[in-house]
Order: sequence, then C-alpha cells, then structure tokens
Amino acid sequence: MGQLLTDIFFFNDRPRFERVGFLIFILIILIFPWIVTSAYGRAVAIKFLLFALFGLGWNLIGGYGGQVDLGQAKNVGFGAYATALMIVWWKVPFWLTIIPGMIIAAAESFAIAYPMFRLKGHYFAIATLCVALVWKELFIFWDWTGGARGVEIPIRSGADFVYMQFNSPIYYHYFIFFLFLLQFFFMNWFRKSKLGYAVQAVRDNEEAAASLGINVYRTKVVNYTITGGLGALGGSFMAVYYLYIDPDAVMPLDLSILIAMTVMVGGAGSIWGPIIGAAILIPLDMYLGAWLGAQKRLGIDFMVYAVIMMVIAAKEPRGIWGIIERKIKKETR
Amino acid sequence: MTWKKMGMFSLIVLFSLFLVLPNLSLAQKEVKIGVILPLSGPLAPIGKSLKEGAELAADIVNKKYPGIGIPIAEWEGIPGLGGAKIKLIFSDSRGDPAWGAEQAKRLIEDEKVVGLMGAYQSAVTKTASVEAERAGIPFVNPDSTSPDLSKRGFKWFWRVTPHETWFTRDLFDFLDGLVAGKAQGVKAVPKSELEPLAVAAENTEWGAASLAEIEKFAKERGWKIAESFKYPHKATDLTSEARKLTASKAPTFLFASYVSDAILFIKALKEMKATPRLIWGQNAGFIQPDFWKTLGADVNGIVSRDVFSSVLGKVKPEADRINKIYKERSGFDFDGSSARDFIGVQVWAHALNAAKSTDPKALQKALNELHIPGKELIMPWKGVKFGSPFPGDTNQNELGSGIIIQYQGYPDGKPEIVFPFEMATSRLIYPFAGWK
Repeated sequence: MGQLLTDIFFFNDRPRFERVGFLIFILIILIFPWIVTSAYGRAVAIKFLLFALFGLGWNLIGGYGGQVDLGQAKNVGFGAYATALMIVWWKVPFWLTIIPGMIIAAAESFAIAYPMFRLKGHYFAIATLCVALVWKELFIFWDWTGGARGVEIPIRSGADFVYMQFNSPIYYHYFIFFLFLLQFFFMNWFRKSKLGYAVQAVRDNEEAAASLGINVYRTKVVNYTITGGLGALGGSFMAVYYLYIDPDAVMPLDLSILIAMTVMVGGAGSIWGPIIGAAILIPLDMYLGAWLGAQKRLGIDFMVYAVIMMVIAAKEPRGIWGIIERKIKKETR
Repeated sequence: MTWKKMGMFSLIVLFSLFLVLPNLSLAQKEVKIGVILPLSGPLAPIGKSLKEGAELAADIVNKKYPGIGIPIAEWEGIPGLGGAKIKLIFSDSRGDPAWGAEQAKRLIEDEKVVGLMGAYQSAVTKTASVEAERAGIPFVNPDSTSPDLSKRGFKWFWRVTPHETWFTRDLFDFLDGLVAGKAQGVKAVPKSELEPLAVAAENTEWGAASLAEIEKFAKERGWKIAESFKYPHKATDLTSEARKLTASKAPTFLFASYVSDAILFIKALKEMKATPRLIWGQNAGFIQPDFWKTLGADVNGIVSRDVFSSVLGKVKPEADRINKIYKERSGFDFDGSSARDFIGVQVWAHALNAAKSTDPKALQKALNELHIPGKELIMPWKGVKFGSPFPGDTNQNELGSGIIIQYQGYPDGKPEIVFPFEMATSRLIYPFAGWK
C-alpha cells in the first residue's frame, strides 16, 4: 500500500529541478484565478488545463506507446455525449456520468484495437484517423444522439455541484485542475508500473520486448484501451463547461490533431511534455486568435501559429522538453 | 543558434505579455457592443459582409446622415444616452461553438461590452448566448435561424430575424402556390411536375434544423421527398452528393448550404447536365455575393428564400438610400445577411435609446417593450417587436417575414422578388432553363 502511494504521488526517480518545477507549477495554477482577473485569461487557463489533460491521456499511446494515434477526438466525444445525454435524458448527476463515459470509450477502443494493431506506423495512424471520422459521421447521422443539432444541457443558476454548473470561471478552474491532477497522478503511477515499462519496452524494440516474455499485441491493446478511457474524461468536462455539444465541437479532426500536436510540441513520452505543449500552444492560439482574428489582418493568427509549430517540429523533434532536458544536462555536467 | 532560439522565445513571451495588458479605455463617451462573427475559415466571406452591414448601421447612428428618412440617421450618437457613440467590438468565431463561447466571455468580462450581437451560425449562437444568459447581459441575434434558439426560454436572448419554421412555411406556400397557379406569368403547375423533392443540407446545427423543418412541412402538406441527406459544408468536393440528387430523379432540388458548398453543388450539377425544374436555396450561401460572382450566368433561374433584395428600393426609398451608401463602402448591394446585421445594430440603438442607461435590467426591459415600425427598416417587414409567433418561442420578433428571390439576367441582373406573389417584382422563370 505504502509503495503504491509512493508510486502515485512521488517523483523520486526524477531530477530535483523537475520536482521543484512541478511544485511551482501547482502553486501557479492554484493562485492563478486570484491574480488574473481577466475572464479571457481565466478561460485560457481552463482550456490549457483541459488540453494538458487530453495530452496526458494521449501521451500514453503517442508518447510511451510510440504509436501515432490521430483519433483521440472520438473518445472525447464519447465522454462528452455520455455526460450530456445522461444529464438530459435521466438527470443523472455529473459525477455519475464520468465513469460510464470512460467505460464506453475504453470498450470501443478495446473492440477496434484488435483489428487495428495488425497495422503499424503510418497505416495505424491513418486507421485511427478514419475510425474517428466515421464515429463523427455516425453521431451526425443518428437522431437519438441529437444528430447534427447536438445536445443542449439546460442552464442551472448559481453554483451547482451536482451538475457542475457555475457562473464563475473560478469553480471551473479548480474543477478541471482536480481532474487534471487525478489523471496526472495516474500517469505518474502508470509510467512506473509493470504495464508502463512493458509499453515503453514495446515502443523501443518489439522483438526485444517479445523475447523478454512481453505479449506485444496484448500490451498495445491494453494501452490503447486505457488511452480511450482517459480521453473521455476531458470530454465529460467539455459537456458541462460549454453546455452545448455537437459532433463538430467535440469530435472534429482538428481536435484529434491538436491533442497530438500539444504532446509532440511539448515532448512525447515525458510526463511533462503534454503540460509544456499545452502551455505554449493554447495561450498562443487563443491570444493570437482574439487579437489578430478580428482585425484587418485576418488569418495572420493561423499563419504565425503554423510557423511556430513548424519551427519546433523541424528543429527539435523531441519537443520543448527535449531542449530543456539537454540544457540542464549540459549545465550539471 | 542558441541565442537565436532564446531570442525567439523571449519575443513570444514579450508578445503575449503585451497582449495580456489591459486595454486603456478612452475618455470619450461610448457604448460598446460585442459582435461575434465567422471572420475566418470557409464562412469568412459571409462574415465580412455581416461585419460591413453592422459597421454601416453603427456609423449611421453615430453620425448625421441627412435625407435618408429614418430616425437613426438624424442622430449623432444615442440621444437617450447624451449622444454616446456606438462602438462595435468584433470578434472572430472561427465557426467553432467552443471558440465562440470563449470570445463571448472575453467580450463580456474583459471588454465590458453592454451587450452582444451575432453569431450567424446557429451552433455558435447557442454557446455564445449561454454565456450572455449566465452573465445576465442582452444578446441580440439578428442572423441565426435555427428554430431551437428562441425555444430555450432565455431571458437575455432576443432574435430579430424570422426563423426556419417561418421560412420553410414560405417555401411550401410557394410550392403550393405554384400548383394553384398563383405565381405571376406561370400557369398552374401540376404537382407531379414538382414532386418528389430532393434535399441536401449541410451537417451542422443550422442545416440539420432546416432539413427537419422541410421534412415536417412536407409531411403536413403532402409533398413526397425522394432523397434527403446531410453533407459537410467544409467539403472540397461534392460530386458524389450532387450525383445522389440527380440519381433521385427528383425535379425539385432544395438546399441548405453555406457559400463554398453551394458553389460546388451548382458547378457539379452543371457538369452532370442535371435538369431539375426548380432549384431552391435556404438563404445563407445562395444569397452571398461570392455565390453569384463566381457562378455568373449559371445562377439564373435559381430561387432562394431571403429577407432582403436590393430591388426592394423600388418600393422602399429608405432602403434604396441606405443600400447606395453600403454599395459605395463595400462594393456590393445589401443581401439578406448583411441587411439583417444592419437591423441588429438598429435594434441595439433603439433599445439603448429607450433604456436611457446601459444597465442590463433597463436594457432587458427596453428590449422586451421595443417596437420599431416597419417603415424605419430596410426590410419588407412590419417591424420589430418581440413575442411568441410560433408555439414555444420567446423573445422572437413577431413582425418579420421572408421573401423568395430569383436570380434573373445575371451577371448584370438583380435578385427579383417572386414570393410573396403579391409583392413580386418580376415574373417567375419556370421551369429552370438548365445550364449552358
């Protein structure tokens, strides 16, 4: 038991600067809404935490697993729809809708993982992308999910902790931070677990892993299933945060790519990568979009954004975390 | 190398800091209205025309425009607020409901706008108006037509434009009218010549709502539908969708499309030498300047529901005068979208003037009691007054109405009004002559 708690909450295997950095990060997020009073600034912070959450989940398959999955949006969609529909149909409290959403997403991932892992590399990436697009079309087509008209959750006044609806963004800030921490500590445990090591071994060399007695196929499938479940968590949050979801909002291709992008820019396969990636891409996108997006210089926001991403991708394939790690190593040497 | 990288990052950091700094407000008395529109992406051409419509209205309120003949042209700022000027703060929605909601938050809390306007796409209007409802500030929606929007019982949401239920009823009145021989210059058309219908609707909130309304009315009025489907409006190729329409052998094609997809459809149908007898568009893409500019003579004979046509100037001199100024500024005549955002600002101006305050409660009361007579509008409407014209509606303009236009004589023509039949400015061209 003690060992389990240590595995979850401690970072003893990581260098000191990382542990200090994480503490500072937690402190900043905790006091953030009290320093920044701008509503947009707070919205940016919430979206940053949401994408850091998405990134942490995706890192499992994309970073530790080394598989490029371009279909995470479908899992976000499952979570969002499970929450929204259960609230609208049966008035189920928000907290009871999270687990079903994650189970649905995980079950779907499990079911499609078997045929999909017959594919490798680019072919696997294309397959994930296609599956996500098919799901999006199905949700547009189906009437029972609201179709293209989406699902609207009725507004409740005041602070409602049962359905997680608040007028003030401060509540949402701590709410998403809580979900983020849950997932973060899960990931911290995961990377040191037996399965975590197996996943990384499979990524580095499948034949070598197999020779050590790791069931490569099974490891990949389990990993993909867990990734699916984790993706749904952020989706549930989106449903109660925006109060209206449609397939275009929660399952688009753009979302799948942005999730993969945050992790790749930040540094895939590192626990800090998704956080760094989201901390750079989300504020950049939102501020560039808000300030340049409505001026005469329309479209510039997309160009600047794209250039920055291209520079990072071309100059440092290991992401920002790669740069930081190299710097620190040089200094301590 | 390292220095270069360091330099770049510090630049980004500095840049973002600069952006975060609060905007300094000017001392001049002004009233800020936030306007959320799709200013980038596939809907950017529509967004631009909406923006220009709103800007012109704000200008007419803020400066004296003698001789136009409507009250706001005589104003210099809002009289009820001591001549305060209207300042529109535009924000790009990217056509993304989540993004639209974030922008609504920014406009409400950071820009401290008095109220909001927009957001054209019904899905974006849905999320953005939720933010206004939560914050308790007015959201005036001049340009979204999904029936759901006014059925949510919101207390801070007012819709100026008629919605899809209305327009679809017009469509079926038009079809039934054709059968009854009411259209000018066209003999009674046997119903079998127009039946069955084939419907293509884009697959977001608005298109899906349009399709549902068409299916509902078709059932009520006894029209058969041979084929109906939804498609993504961002698609870059719609050939197979167009083939679905021709394969259905339906003589009447109905579309709920945005602009680039509307153009793709017509081009594909032309290529396939399709021979429909009637092509009807549900406004949006079918009335955009880009639509008839790109397609030229190929638009002749296509009909679209609309709320405004520049030929209205013949019967409404005020509309003609305002349209002239608009054309000078933007290069185009008003269309049904830009004219509606013009009216959106007009509604805001009258509400602010009546409230004599920017207090949300006072504005809410003013909007609930607002009545703008039809003669002050550039639309062929009876006016603006919020109520419940259809079951379940709240704060929906009761005095609006739709028209159906037909493109005639393009590339140099005008959209002629063909419905309501008694308002027709030209004879209906029927059947559709096909493309050359």
